[in-house]
Amino acid sequence: MDARTVVEPAPHIQVESLTIVYEKPKAAGALIAVSNVNLDIARGTFVTIVGPSGCGKSSLLLSIAGLVKPASGCIRVNGKPVMGPGRDRAVVFQDFALMPWRTVIDNVRFGLELQRPPRLTGGDLTERACRYVELVGLKGFEHYHPHQLSGGMRQRVGIARALAVDPEILLLDEPFGSLDAQTRDEMGSELLAIWERNKKTALFVTHGIDEAIFLADQIVVMARDPGRITEIISVDLPRPRTAETTDSKRFIEYRKQIRECLGREQS
Amino acid sequence: MKFNEHSPPLRGGEYYRTLVSTITVMAFLAVWEFAPRAGIVDATFTSQPTRVVAAGLEIIRTGGFLHDVSVSLSEFALGFTLAIAVGVALGLALGRFPVLRYALDPPIMAIYATPHLALLPIIVVWLGIGMQSKIAVAFVSGVIPILVNAMAGVRGVDGSWIAAARSFSARESDVFLKVILPASLPSVILGIRLGLSRAVLGVVVAEMYQSQAGVGNEIMRYGSEFRTDYLLFDVLLVSLFGLTATSAVRALEERLWTAGE
Amino acid sequence: MKSAPGLVGIASFAVILLVWESAVRFGWINPFFVSQPSAIALSLSRAARSGELWHNVTVSLREFAIGYGLSVVIGILAGALAGRFRTVEYALDPFLWFLYSAPLIAFYPIFVLWFGLGVPTVIAMTFLLSVTQIATSTLKGIQSVNPGLLRAARSFGATDRDLLWKVVLPATVPMMTAGLRLGIGRALMGVVVGELFGATAGLGYSISYYGALLKTTDMIASLIVIVVLGVLCTQGLTAVEERFDSWRTF
Repeated sequence: MDARTVVEPAPHIQVESLTIVYEKPKAAGALIAVSNVNLDIARGTFVTIVGPSGCGKSSLLLSIAGLVKPASGCIRVNGKPVMGPGRDRAVVFQDFALMPWRTVIDNVRFGLELQRPPRLTGGDLTERACRYVELVGLKGFEHYHPHQLSGGMRQRVGIARALAVDPEILLLDEPFGSLDAQTRDEMGSELLAIWERNKKTALFVTHGIDEAIFLADQIVVMARDPGRITEIISVDLPRPRTAETTDSKRFIEYRKQIRECLGREQS
Repeated sequence: MKFNEHSPPLRGGEYYRTLVSTITVMAFLAVWEFAPRAGIVDATFTSQPTRVVAAGLEIIRTGGFLHDVSVSLSEFALGFTLAIAVGVALGLALGRFPVLRYALDPPIMAIYATPHLALLPIIVVWLGIGMQSKIAVAFVSGVIPILVNAMAGVRGVDGSWIAAARSFSARESDVFLKVILPASLPSVILGIRLGLSRAVLGVVVAEMYQSQAGVGNEIMRYGSEFRTDYLLFDVLLVSLFGLTATSAVRALEERLWTAGE
Repeated sequence: MKSAPGLVGIASFAVILLVWESAVRFGWINPFFVSQPSAIALSLSRAARSGELWHNVTVSLREFAIGYGLSVVIGILAGALAGRFRTVEYALDPFLWFLYSAPLIAFYPIFVLWFGLGVPTVIAMTFLLSVTQIATSTLKGIQSVNPGLLRAARSFGATDRDLLWKVVLPATVPMMTAGLRLGIGRALMGVVVGELFGATAGLGYSISYYGALLKTTDMIASLIVIVVLGVLCTQGLTAVEERFDSWRTF
């Protein structure tokens, strides 16, 4: 089943008939991670993608990021096809992917250094990095190394690094997956607070149903074998989202809806 | 391209690896063989694969080398067995009893830092140029890695296993025999593997230095007689022995590691 | 509290020296075999004053520096190339493996054939013994770079050169320096053994020389100098490692 939401103006991200295939290293044949997926994402929306392991949600995200080449189909951002990574998109990874030898401030600078924005000096980059370090609440930790930080703090660095390049689209691949439940909840709220400031288009992959509902304007539910979208749910909960939101009747209904959808596909 | 980890792995990666490796080795052998023929190098200095093989066949046919090989083998066997016995016993003891470790650790580390072959002349002074000094060298070369690894093995035993055993009212000797010993076995075997090549090297070099018989002795003799082909054959023989022995131990290691999971 | 093991270590050494000295003085051990600390100390000061010690040390150190230095340059280069190009790795693999596991010292007579007795042979031996260690460690270092880091860098638009200089190189440093440290031990061995056999000067030579004269005291004195040098080099490298690898978690 493929679903399409069309919102004016033209969608920020368009995924058309996307198929992603991985070669199996030791076996014959290939693994179809994602099969013929279609998806439109409107500008400024927070979209979560939820589904079981192996449903291709990370692959979908990474191909939008330009890190995974699709076997067929097309991805467009602002109407232009995606050919690889770009300044308009930045990724936050599940394993943080921080350079262990760099300090916090240098890690946040990392993306900027690589993109080499014209007319900005090294000092400018550092100053900008400092601002984002403060934004994610790590002021004072600029000269720490990742191994001296907790998991939650490390991921804040990852988020700061992604935000520092000022992308149009924020792509988060199970960013809180390595964190304990409590930290995860805290980080979710903080992420929303940061997001509220500039309302970038955000794509957030997760395993957790509650997390998916809590954060999203829209939830994309996926199933596996083959990887595909089964349902797209618009979330009609008021922002800003609080602890009370999760106790509301609406929230529970959404949860039920998603559970049923996932359960259906499993049988 | 290597840096792109999303690129599919090399088609038939394993085959490519064997192919390239084989080709380079063949190329090397070819150059080795034909360079002297082309007059680029003097075969006295480099020998040739064919010559080495011929020398080897000659050696095997006349059987003269059997005596030397048996001398070397026995020196190695005796010395290394002693190294295992002492190394394992001491290593386990040091691992088990911190007091002993604190006392003996510095001198042991000092010996570890010494290039073990530098002790050769002293051992010869002590024990003469006969077999005893070679056995001693094999012992000294092999014992340290075994000891250090046995000690590390004991210390590395997961504390929760010991706690679990104790919670079932195990006696200390039981804890040692049933938990610590089996758990440290892989490290001990690793130490034995590391010590093995050192011991082989030790025996050969000791024989090269001062001896009346043995493979090392032979090697020096061939060298002084400029019989490069015979020399190379002997060297390759020693390498082969070392490699086979370490492979055997490694196979044992692998069985133990997987069994110990 | 952290210095406790250090203190115990020093105390342990002191005790051993004491026992050693007394054992010889009381006639329990024959000094011919192990000498005694006081005699060794005397021998060392004599050698230092006569310039013999410094001469040997400089000869050995020079051989070490050249042999080890060469192996660092070539080892890192070979390891880096092998890490970057799989074909190079597959091609070098059999040779590295052979050089690492074969008793290279047994090749000594061949080296003598090629380079003659003396310094060049020692340097050749030193080089060969340590180069494989360094090359292998560098290679492993490059191969063990976390692919997640490469992916993250690429997501921010890193070029291949960026990947090399900003990710691969820094990430390789721990394993590479570990290899450099291990290489020191092997290089030192190469120097000593090379000198044992056919040198006219150097610390290894002096052990052999005094050995022929059955002068244990002087032998042990030279041996101690070798050990001290080895420990100094290794500790020096460890200090460098710690300065640059403070971020290592392994």
